[in-house]
Amino acid sequence: MALFQFWITKQQKLKAVKKTFTTIIAFLICLGGFAQTIIVGKVSEEKGEPLPGASIYLKGTYDGTTSNEKGEFKFRSSKTGQQVLAIEFMGYDPIARNVELKGDTIKVNVSLKEAFNQLNAVTITAGTFEAGDKKRAVTISPLDMMTTAGAAGDVYGALQSLPGTTTNGESGRLFVKGGDSEESQTYIDGALVPVPYNSSAPNMSTRGRFNPFMFKGTMFSTGGYSAEYGQALSSVLLLNTNDMPEEDQLDLSFLMVGVEVAGTKKWNSGAITGTLGYNNLKPYMSLAPQNYHWTDEPESTSGALSFRQMTSKTGMLKIYSSIDNGSFTVSQKNMAAGGQLTDYKLGNDNAFINASWNDKLGEKWAISSAASFTSNKDNIHFDQTNVIKKVQGTYLKTNLSYPFSEKFILKFGGELFSKNYTQNARIGSEVHDNSFTNNNFAGFTEAQIYASSKFVTRIGGRIEYSDYLKSFRFAPRWSTAYKISDKSQFSLAYGWFFQNPVDDYLLYTANIKPERADHYTFSFQSSANDRTLKAELYYKNYRDLVKLNGGAFYLPTSYNNTGSGYARGLDLFWRDKKSIKGGDYWISYSFVDTERDYRNFPHKAVPSFASKHNLAVVYKHWFPGIRSYPGINFKYSSPRVYNDPNSAVFNGEKMLAYKSIDLSWSFLYRPNIICYAAVNNVAGFKNEFGRTYASTPDVSGNYPSAAIEPSSTRFFVVGVFITLTKKGSANQLDKIN
Amino acid sequence: MKKIVLSIAVVLFSLVSMAQKAEFYQAMGEALPQYGTCKSVADFQALGNKFEMIANVEKSEWLPLYYHAHCYILMSFMEQDATKKDSYLDIAEKSVKKLVEMVPNESEVFVLQSFLYTGRLVVNPMERGQEYSGLSGQAIGKALALDPTNPRAKMMKIQMDMGTARFFGTDPKSFCPQAKELLTKWDEFKPKSPLHPNWGKDQVEGIVKGCE
Repeated sequence: MALFQFWITKQQKLKAVKKTFTTIIAFLICLGGFAQTIIVGKVSEEKGEPLPGASIYLKGTYDGTTSNEKGEFKFRSSKTGQQVLAIEFMGYDPIARNVELKGDTIKVNVSLKEAFNQLNAVTITAGTFEAGDKKRAVTISPLDMMTTAGAAGDVYGALQSLPGTTTNGESGRLFVKGGDSEESQTYIDGALVPVPYNSSAPNMSTRGRFNPFMFKGTMFSTGGYSAEYGQALSSVLLLNTNDMPEEDQLDLSFLMVGVEVAGTKKWNSGAITGTLGYNNLKPYMSLAPQNYHWTDEPESTSGALSFRQMTSKTGMLKIYSSIDNGSFTVSQKNMAAGGQLTDYKLGNDNAFINASWNDKLGEKWAISSAASFTSNKDNIHFDQTNVIKKVQGTYLKTNLSYPFSEKFILKFGGELFSKNYTQNARIGSEVHDNSFTNNNFAGFTEAQIYASSKFVTRIGGRIEYSDYLKSFRFAPRWSTAYKISDKSQFSLAYGWFFQNPVDDYLLYTANIKPERADHYTFSFQSSANDRTLKAELYYKNYRDLVKLNGGAFYLPTSYNNTGSGYARGLDLFWRDKKSIKGGDYWISYSFVDTERDYRNFPHKAVPSFASKHNLAVVYKHWFPGIRSYPGINFKYSSPRVYNDPNSAVFNGEKMLAYKSIDLSWSFLYRPNIICYAAVNNVAGFKNEFGRTYASTPDVSGNYPSAAIEPSSTRFFVVGVFITLTKKGSANQLDKIN
Repeated sequence: MKKIVLSIAVVLFSLVSMAQKAEFYQAMGEALPQYGTCKSVADFQALGNKFEMIANVEKSEWLPLYYHAHCYILMSFMEQDATKKDSYLDIAEKSVKKLVEMVPNESEVFVLQSFLYTGRLVVNPMERGQEYSGLSGQAIGKALALDPTNPRAKMMKIQMDMGTARFFGTDPKSFCPQAKELLTKWDEFKPKSPLHPNWGKDQVEGIVKGCE
């Protein structure tokens, strides 16, 4: 303590005692006398390039230095005898050398090997668009999903500005690389979401059920995905919910279509958020001209509860539950009744629970478990028909992973998906009640092997058994990536993908088998300085697709697995956040060539959901002076085909090309208040999605028809988001849009 | 006699342990003035390495880790390349994490943590703004709660408030009286030892200058 006192006195005093003091120290600790050893040398990396800034020191001592610009170093030590010389530099494996200090000069030249680090190592990018991981150069981030004009706050809407997707304005769902919308699956925190979209009327666009604000990261895979994911022929969308909120807060959203209130209470190791929402499109629809007549404008009430709890230092339990009730009545032309306007009435009840738990078991094992439960009921009235559709789904999954070394990680797991689907139809006095229950069991294993930080292979397989279809399937998956430079890499992926046929067929038959698609993907990605280029070539081979042989739809014998098809194409993506100060843009282009023979197709033909050329140009600019983040987005899809039963050629008609210019404007009024406005299709391009035909011809032998139009030519939204906290400075920047 | 022998033994023993500590004080005392001569990323890296070397020997001392992290944070502010910025901050973050576990009640550690988060934010304000401004503010809150007199915590708070005011078009000069008061009273705060953090006066002088 006395000595300590020396040090808090002034420097002069210190100097006075320094000499005596140093003598004492020297006497006490420098037992081997005063001979000094000089250590000199050079640090380089494997190829011989010098490494400046490396730390060179004798372990357990204060003797050491840092290498200079030429990688050279020199220092003295009065230590003697055996010592350990350590050479360290970030990103490289450290080296320790035994040296003997005898008072002379020691020369040490070393070359350091680049350390293996999964964060810097090559990653498999074939087919994937990852977002949210801060360390990696992401191609698209959660903020992008929120601020992209044209998305109108819909997760799926935002994804439609990425390559590989085709916008189908009469659906709003995801159509990926020549695949139908049923071929895509959505997972939240690892658990399958069987009903990800809101219910909508036929030929009218829908949106995702989930608020994009819930998610901190997304991974959108358009092919060649991991063996962990099954029951999807075309794509998987993995959404990860936010972790712990930072503090207690109250979020208020006022949009012209509805209001939402969310309250968050946080404690030391957990938090709970309750959300209540009410939407009613009536005021909006009375302002904006609509192409359809709404007898009852869409109205919905929803409530959600989300819970977070740290279960250990590394573990986190997340539970999300929601209930939702919505209804609308829209008048559609009834082709069976000479085109007269007839009310289509829909009521929907949805309950959803999603839970996930991630933790480490001991030093190395990692576990992640996920579960979801869904109950969805649609009650539909149209003319003389009343249909009630009920889906109940239970999903359970557990994954374990074990790193044998940093370069070899084994992952395996099991999954159960149980689904019950019931349909009660009343057509006049006819009654059709059908249902099925399917239990799908699956197991998978996958190894990730790094040959070096430049070369990685992921190889695995998946087995699936469906007790309803009595089918057993094995799906191999393989992907590999090679880094050719710091900035660029190639990826290859190959795999078999199975999916059970659509529910509407399984209602009537169990005599069909899962459908299959084989993916071949080759991709190149290069990113540096906030510029990213991605190019992908792919080929998909569809087989065992379900076909109807022309028999009555309710007969099990009317279905078989003789359908097939292919899709091949090129996806291009260019993003540049660098060239324009404050500006950020991306261009996405997809070319797809596809044909298939499935469902009621008479022969192989281009399906109506595929358009050959798809282009999206997105631009955003931050104006700090006015604290505004406006965005503009242009989309083009070349004409799709549709079928006219009056024509001899199947799918021989062409729709109009799809065009839209969308604008959005986010304005940060106060740290906790954001104003937002957006217009879709501001130029008012005429978009039409083919025609709908009567099922029987009229007296003259013609099938009467009506055009399928978007529900309105333009769509606009205005809103305010307010966050209230004790501190008052948090905002909802990521809530824009 | 026994007593004398015992006393000599005690004195000798404490001298030895003091001498060991002395080496630490000497090394720190030599390294700290080098802050003044550091001009480039490489200079700060060399200095940071020195502190790391000391930290490796003195496992129970938090100050060498503190300065190691501080050097690497400063490096990130001087560096232009975004990937390098993040890699320096990765290194700083490791030391800050250790510090938070080692001395969880040390106000200066949270000032440093706030500084680290500001460094992260600067790399990509558009995408990281929300998350890291929140984290940075929280860290300053902790620092001030642990020691309301900490002038560095006060300074960071003023900087942050002025930044927010500038961004939202309100008058940043409304914080000038606070900055001036902080500057006049700066020397009233006595670090626990000459080795303890004592930086920041220059920055406050800069703020006050900007007020005129």
